[in-house]
Amino acid sequence: MTDAASPMTGVSPRTQRLKARLRARYARETRFRWYGRAAIGVALAFLVILLGSIITQGYTAFYAHTVTLPVYMDPARIDRSYPQGANFEQIVAEQQVRRLGVQDDEQGSKASAMKALLSSELKFQAAKMVARQPSLLGQTVPIAAPLSDDAEMYLKGKITRDQPEDQRRVSNAQMDWLDKMKASGAIRAHFNAALFTKGDSTQPELAGLLGAVVGSALMLMVTALIAIPVGVGAAVWLEEYSPRNRITAIIEVNINNLAAVPSIVYGLLGLALFINFLHLPRASPLVGGLVLALMALPTIIIATRSSLKAVPPSIREAALAMGASRTQTVFGHVLPLAMPGVMTGAIISMAHALGETAPLLLIGMISFVPGVPHAIDEPVGALPSLIYIWENASERAFHERTAAAILVLLAFMIVMNAAAVLLRRRFERRW
Amino acid sequence: MIWIFLLLLIAFVVMAYVAGRTLAVRRSRGAKSHSRPGQHGLYALIWVGAPALAMLIAASVFSTSIEQQMMRAGAPDSVAALEPFRREAFFADARLVGAGQEARQIWPAPYAEELPAEGRRAHRIASTLNWGGGVAALIAAVLGGLFVFTRIRPDLRARNKVEGWITGLLFACSAVAVLTTLGIIFSLVIDSLRFFSMVPITEFLFGTKWSPQIAIRADQVGSSGAFGAVPLFAGTFLIMLIAMAVAAPIGLFSAVYLSEYSGRKTRALVKPALEVLAGVPTVVYGFFAALTVGPALRVFFNSIGDMLIGGPLNDLGLYLSLVQNQMALVAGAVMGIMLIPFVSSLSDDILNAVPQSLRDGSYAMGATKSETVKKVLLPAALPGIAGALLLAVSRAIGETMIVTMAAGLAAKLTLNPLETVTTVTVQIVTLLTGDQEFNSPKTLAAFGLGLTLFVVTLLLNIVAMRIVQAYREQYD
Amino acid sequence: MKSRILRAPEGTSNGGASEAATLTTVPTVGAHASAPLGPIKIAARDVSVFYGDKQALFDVSLDIPDKTVTALIGPSGCGKSTFLRTMNRMNDTIPGTRVTGRIEMDGGDINDRKIDPVLLRAQVGMVFQKPNPFPKSIYENVAYGPKIHGLASSKGEMDEIVQKSLKRAGLWDEVADRLHSPGTGLSGGQQQRLVIARAIAVEPEVILMDEPCSALDPIATAKIEELIDELRERYCIVIVTHSMAQAARVSQRTAFFHMGKLVETGDTEEIFTNPRERRTLDYITGRFG
Repeated sequence: MTDAASPMTGVSPRTQRLKARLRARYARETRFRWYGRAAIGVALAFLVILLGSIITQGYTAFYAHTVTLPVYMDPARIDRSYPQGANFEQIVAEQQVRRLGVQDDEQGSKASAMKALLSSELKFQAAKMVARQPSLLGQTVPIAAPLSDDAEMYLKGKITRDQPEDQRRVSNAQMDWLDKMKASGAIRAHFNAALFTKGDSTQPELAGLLGAVVGSALMLMVTALIAIPVGVGAAVWLEEYSPRNRITAIIEVNINNLAAVPSIVYGLLGLALFINFLHLPRASPLVGGLVLALMALPTIIIATRSSLKAVPPSIREAALAMGASRTQTVFGHVLPLAMPGVMTGAIISMAHALGETAPLLLIGMISFVPGVPHAIDEPVGALPSLIYIWENASERAFHERTAAAILVLLAFMIVMNAAAVLLRRRFERRW
Repeated sequence: MIWIFLLLLIAFVVMAYVAGRTLAVRRSRGAKSHSRPGQHGLYALIWVGAPALAMLIAASVFSTSIEQQMMRAGAPDSVAALEPFRREAFFADARLVGAGQEARQIWPAPYAEELPAEGRRAHRIASTLNWGGGVAALIAAVLGGLFVFTRIRPDLRARNKVEGWITGLLFACSAVAVLTTLGIIFSLVIDSLRFFSMVPITEFLFGTKWSPQIAIRADQVGSSGAFGAVPLFAGTFLIMLIAMAVAAPIGLFSAVYLSEYSGRKTRALVKPALEVLAGVPTVVYGFFAALTVGPALRVFFNSIGDMLIGGPLNDLGLYLSLVQNQMALVAGAVMGIMLIPFVSSLSDDILNAVPQSLRDGSYAMGATKSETVKKVLLPAALPGIAGALLLAVSRAIGETMIVTMAAGLAAKLTLNPLETVTTVTVQIVTLLTGDQEFNSPKTLAAFGLGLTLFVVTLLLNIVAMRIVQAYREQYD
Repeated sequence: MKSRILRAPEGTSNGGASEAATLTTVPTVGAHASAPLGPIKIAARDVSVFYGDKQALFDVSLDIPDKTVTALIGPSGCGKSTFLRTMNRMNDTIPGTRVTGRIEMDGGDINDRKIDPVLLRAQVGMVFQKPNPFPKSIYENVAYGPKIHGLASSKGEMDEIVQKSLKRAGLWDEVADRLHSPGTGLSGGQQQRLVIARAIAVEPEVILMDEPCSALDPIATAKIEELIDELRERYCIVIVTHSMAQAARVSQRTAFFHMGKLVETGDTEEIFTNPRERRTLDYITGRFG
């Protein structure tokens, strides 16, 4: 019997040798496995940190504070015929300083400090009220308006008393006033609807995303209208019609390479071709949409081709055998069957286009565009370019809004990708 | 205006379809028709719609330049004598005035008087062109209709002709891809040539000083030596290296773990998470780098520096305590995070392409999993993985937003990851987003950089795709 | 009787040219010399295998003698490969596989928790259907096993192992001058012998072969069969084959599997000449399979 050498009894010198090595081998195995786990752990940790840091920085932008103050409409300082000219912020600040029982000095520095806590929006509100109803002059009326960005930052805990007073933009006195106003109920926190109903502004407390959202939507509409039909057409030709020759080969190589061209190069193309050569309007959704369409084209072509490939040849043969022409076969049978895959690919590439930034900067979407756009040939902002612009802004209050804009952008992308996943789940067909 | 014509055109086209159909039915009475009535209708639709649409597109593409030609041709002497830049600005204001808006700038005496008249002229030209284009399109539609309606007969092979058109249209769609490439090449090459006529190409490629901002005056250009792109290439390379140092090991190990070790449940959780990481727009990574990672790393290095000051490593401490937010490390590391899912999914595909028989062979020899991975799978997949990493390198080089937001503008020749460096893409954005004056080397330099970037990434992609392709065929 | 053995495979669907060409070699290989059987090396008792909910093997009990070639035959999907893979626990590598019953090797149960599959596989080598040399040099391929198991303490020792294994696999003369060229560059038959050399380099006691000739041409097949007969002197060999002619040529013992069950087992000569079971007869005469 050869029991001695068997793996069970393990007394032969050979087995001893193998066993002795085995410990080290399994130690290496365990170590290797942990490298893999660590790599995945690190990748997931990055994801969590990335999203976590954006959420923690951004959630505060979704609420805001409104201060409601009784204002004595002083007829001596407000011109009935030209209320816009009155310095409402100064008037309100002085009254508020007095109301809080603070003794102002000769330069009116306390009133200036109070004024710094109020948004310029207050002036527009007040002027509008007086213009509409001049009889308010001489009366005391409550006016509600946003606070200035610095006051907001304090109320949201982004500026704290721990920092040295000379290094922060809100002084101890201002903090005391804000605390008092909050305690008295003059300052109230609420959902920041303005973020979604207003366009961009130079003042962070008044800046909203609507302009950029509409700009992005217009741009994406142009992109979809161009890229999806052209991309599907190209894929159909390549997959169903193209002869096997050099031209086809060149086109195929081309598409693969285009998919890997850096996005900024498309920006250069847009600048040189659409703006400088064809003189299309700068920073318009038309140009942006065209550039993004050219970028999305290879992705859509590749996705469409793979779903056309997935339709079994037997379907084509069956239709052709029934006497259908090639075009009837393709448009009547093959393309409808491939449609779920085509639409999934198209939606995913649109979601990708939505987040693309670099080419937009080059075609001019880097300047400040107030208000909400309504045409495809006027300058607009887009969500990603707005994120870039706000990130560059010096006011700290823009940072939380940048993070909020990112959250809105990500929300749109998640919705689009979820739609694509649902589409795939609902209509996926296995042959 | 163009919308009215477009609507008219749609109405025409629908009528053409109906007419073609009806005509086909009527004329084929009794006889056996080659094609079905609907196909005749489509044939008519194409012949009415296509020429008109082509006309409309041509009109809207060329109207701008024709309008400029006409404005220039009919301009009063005083305006014609202006230097080109001012003249175009004047015409732009004239257009605004013609459209009932206010001029953007205040024009001095002779021009101010010309403005209203020029405005009316601009308005006239614009509406002439609009109407001209529209009417030309309608005429084209009518001509196409006349042509097609005489030809509808039972023996007309309408189906074949319609299908011929469709095939042509589909081919045109595919040709767009080639045209895009040609467009990229032409737009990059033309402006690059203009740039290289001002700055010698050797100086651009081998010069070590990059300082485009000083080239404000035309007489400084070229001779100033401020367009040496080597520091940009070095910065790009440094950041790419850091990014790959992060992405390659993490991506590769994740791929190995996912494809060889993890159970189906882990896979079902981790893969979508990595896809989310891949789907995050680069501008978000830029924000993350600039406002989270940058300050965090600066605080980290500064505090290490503070600890070292006064010790044996005093100089290092002084250096570290002054490190800034915008170091190459920040942009590189965040770019690496961005590339992890890219590397991991490509490597995953490649590992899955290694035939199962090799794994079986190794396990049957009594190899452990890690031995199989290290000694059989990775060597077998090496070419494919190399290709995948090259694709990642190409991505890193072309990536723009992270570096624009988190790397600096200082063109420095250094390999120190704690220094601020700048990259090719950062400079393209910087040069083209400031005040633009075309024809200045400062602006054109961006196209030179763009051409370099395009050529390098194209070569990398071609090589990488060849490698991956050859690798796949090996195991097919 | 002999004529019947020879006729039977011709009638099977997987006969064809390859077998016809090698049939004449049957007597020279001498498989039917009634060699005395070695002691029982592996004893399987009530072995069942499940892939998920699906049972692939039903209560198989089989004794496999040492220094003997045992052929497992049967139509495709009958469980013969599954059974083969239980003997070196290769089924462990397929998730969702469950094995019940005992497989005793030299008296110990190899499915015992204490048994390390890594050590077991150093004892039980395996050759697959398709030659699967690693994309490395010929030398590296053969040295792979000894290296991971640490069987050679010096370069010289390793050279010796490689040479010895290649010689035993009958490949040495063909590759001695190009040991460092890639193993994937060899012909199909050479690759399969290289893989056999790789398996015997760790000096196993049992060699499992899963249809080792199905991807080879007749001449290469003949060489492998000759090699198997030589290897019989040192190892316990279990071979799964589709070809009944091959089973008849190379094996001394044959086990017939059908629908996941072991139908019949016995001396090869007996199985092919005088099967006890009707199904065996039907199979070897080509009525199904």
